[in-house]
Amino acid sequence: MTRDFRARQIWTIARLELRRVFFSKRSFWVYGLALFPVAIFVAAAIGMTYERRSYEAVNRVSPALINSVNEGESVEAVLERLGTPVRDREFRRRHRGEDDESEELLVIRNLRYWDGSRFAELRFRNGILEAKFIRQLISLERQRQAYNGVFHYYYLKLAIFFGCLGIFMNLFRGEMLDKTLHFWLLAPARREVLLGGKYLAGLLASSVIFGAGAALMFAAMVWPVDPLEARAFLAGPAAAQWARYAGAAMLACLGYGSAFLAAGLLVRNPIVPAVVLLMWESINGFLPAVLQKISVLHYVQSVCPMPAPMDDGAPALVRLFLAPAPGTAWPLAVLGLCALTAAVLFVAARAVKRLEINYGGD
Amino acid sequence: MAVYKRGYQRYQGELTGRWTRFLALPRFVWPRLIEQRLILIVLIVSLFWPLACVAFIYVANHSELWSGLDNDFAQFLQIDGRFFRYFMDTQAVMAVILAALAGPGLIAPDLANNGLPLYFSRPLSRLDYVLARMFTLVAMLALVTLLPALLLFAMQGGLAGFDWLWKNLRLPVGVLAGFAMHILLVSMVALACSAWVKWRTIAGALVVGFFFILAGASELLNNVLDVTWGVLFNPARALYTVWSAMLGVEAGEGPGAWACGAALLVMAALVALVLEKKLRPVEVVS
Repeated sequence: MTRDFRARQIWTIARLELRRVFFSKRSFWVYGLALFPVAIFVAAAIGMTYERRSYEAVNRVSPALINSVNEGESVEAVLERLGTPVRDREFRRRHRGEDDESEELLVIRNLRYWDGSRFAELRFRNGILEAKFIRQLISLERQRQAYNGVFHYYYLKLAIFFGCLGIFMNLFRGEMLDKTLHFWLLAPARREVLLGGKYLAGLLASSVIFGAGAALMFAAMVWPVDPLEARAFLAGPAAAQWARYAGAAMLACLGYGSAFLAAGLLVRNPIVPAVVLLMWESINGFLPAVLQKISVLHYVQSVCPMPAPMDDGAPALVRLFLAPAPGTAWPLAVLGLCALTAAVLFVAARAVKRLEINYGGD
Repeated sequence: MAVYKRGYQRYQGELTGRWTRFLALPRFVWPRLIEQRLILIVLIVSLFWPLACVAFIYVANHSELWSGLDNDFAQFLQIDGRFFRYFMDTQAVMAVILAALAGPGLIAPDLANNGLPLYFSRPLSRLDYVLARMFTLVAMLALVTLLPALLLFAMQGGLAGFDWLWKNLRLPVGVLAGFAMHILLVSMVALACSAWVKWRTIAGALVVGFFFILAGASELLNNVLDVTWGVLFNPARALYTVWSAMLGVEAGEGPGAWACGAALLVMAALVALVLEKKLRPVEVVS
């Protein structure tokens, strides 16, 4: 038996499994996990475009006029100078005084003005300007921050995690539940070859699904941005960032996939490894730097072009504890994750050699 | 002449009482659940936090132990709505893990082995079956939620006097009602997952995924669309808002308690719909 022959066997098994992983009814929810953020980014883009058009149809004031508005001005003065606002909301509420006995009626009025790219929210309290907030309706920087947050907190920690749990656990445990695993074990192929084929199928499927999901999400993120700004971004760092995000998604599939494949062979109940790994990855930020390196997330996040965002309102102590370990250089991160995967697959290969079918147990 | 003939006759004897029939299911399942090592471990681990809270209540009610310390520490040792919300948050997570371990084994095996006709051929309706299964889980979850809460209130009442309980009546009412809502929702989700996927092991992962993925998805909605109503899709956060309102504690930004309560009701209705659709006494196999 040559190495080529075994490689061909692995590919044959992977090809058979790929059809099952991609098209079985049991895998469709994984597409949902991967494409849900794409749908939300598209919805946000449509919403922002609609908002911009509706503002343009009402009134557009010059940026200088918006900048000239100062706190303490009356609502009448602002309306006279800036004209019709694009949004005008008024509500009343009762406010209890500091002595807890007197009550005063507050009239809050919010006016929104549009200057073509920014909108200003003016908040009047009893007719006097109390606060002014100016923000870009669509900014590339804000979109990138949103994408980065979604990628780190939703995509890596939840979508890929649970997606890989579903795909890779299903490779052996699913066949056990279907009572079809014995067909594979009767085939004239070594157990390690079977493991390799199944892992390759799971890896290809999850990488395609989540890599494509990350890429589509990136495209949906850039879509509503001003064409000039978008063109400059696409001609500059976009391709490298896109590749690194898609690569990080694929690397996460590589790491989580091996862990869940091994778990599917070693334990009967997937909740236990899932909860343990989820907890480990969640508390990762609180662990010492050395322990942080024994996690899939550490290496995957090192490949991402931007670090995971942290809430500005988080207490200083929490920020201190959540300080991530110094990121590993991306070639080293890839190597580290490959080494971790190889170690886990070695354990899985030993387990698959001792595998005995017990269909009654599930 | 038929080569095989079998006739059936309706049972004409005396029936046991409705409650006896209802409790037959939990009576057989509880010992089986307790025998599972993992469930036992989670049950034990979930008592750690209530024990820590008991110690906290003891220290808070013995001012002589910290009389030399400053006012900030006294403020920290307040037994108020905030304290009980922390307690509820932690126990709620343990309840979800326990439900993920214990819940899927309640309906999935019956469906996977076509066992439902055996139940429904007896004087047991579909509603009875679901309620009996739910009661099994609710009672188990009550061990880590309602029971420790009662213990904490008994201890606080004993140490601070029943005047304290009377003055802060909204706390026990809020905690017990909040936990009741939580365990009902979690039990329904666990049973629905169990009925939906039919496989115990997969259903367990689905229960955990339901709570974690919806939490992530709601955060995603809030961040990308720049809104706060995404919270309505997160059962844990919606419950947190309702609990905060019940305990008179600030819940933070987002929809109010009534909106969150309505969202929880919709979720419960959807889950009940899944149960109604999946639990059929007969199945047509084409």
